[in-house]
Amino acid sequence: MQTKIKEYRAKLNLTQDQLANLVGARRETIVFLEAGKYNPSLKLAHDVATALKTSIDNLFIF
Amino acid sequence: MTLKKYQKIKLAITIVLAIIFSQSIIYKNYLIPLATLIIASLGLILLRRQVKEVIADERDYLNAGKSAGLAIQVYSWVAVVAMFVLYAFRDLNPAYEPIAMTLAFSTCLLMLTYSLIFKFQNKTKFSQNKKTFIVLIIILAIFASIFTIDYFPEKTIGFVKMVNG
Repeated sequence: MQTKIKEYRAKLNLTQDQLANLVGARRETIVFLEAGKYNPSLKLAHDVATALKTSIDNLFIF
Repeated sequence: MTLKKYQKIKLAITIVLAIIFSQSIIYKNYLIPLATLIIASLGLILLRRQVKEVIADERDYLNAGKSAGLAIQVYSWVAVVAMFVLYAFRDLNPAYEPIAMTLAFSTCLLMLTYSLIFKFQNKTKFSQNKKTFIVLIIILAIFASIFTIDYFPEKTIGFVKMVNG
């Protein structure tokens, strides 16, 4: 799995910590998500996509 | 309070608890560890409420579930093997038998508790009928307690008498 979280996060000038606080997750989880090493739940994927003002389809590439 | 500060305090409390527990067991005082455990738990709950960052998220819960399952498997295997070994050598030392029985019962109790909690989580997660399962679990817990208490006194007393000579 690949993600474009880092890309979208950079566009919005958000740090990993800020994004983690926005979605109610720990920073480490964002690190794992960005590296494509963690399959998030639908809720977390939706929350991340909403926080980054995009859709799940754009963020996660399977 | 930050998460790092909370984790440091938690570690310090754990160290203090371990020292108190070991000292209390040496001096055969079982009330102090119980009291300190309750106080420490309450203190940690209060501190946890002051942490504004996310302490654990879904990845932690997923890891916790996997770790718990693995820990149960490892403990069960070790306990069962130890039980068979101790039971086989019970003629060498009569104390081995109650220890083997304790291990066997603790493994059974662990598996039973795990199964019940799993069943409970599985059912209640998708339904509103929580009360029936809670009552069922309480009844089963009472039965398990009565059975355990009924079985263990003579073994435990016998073991204590034997140790004390």
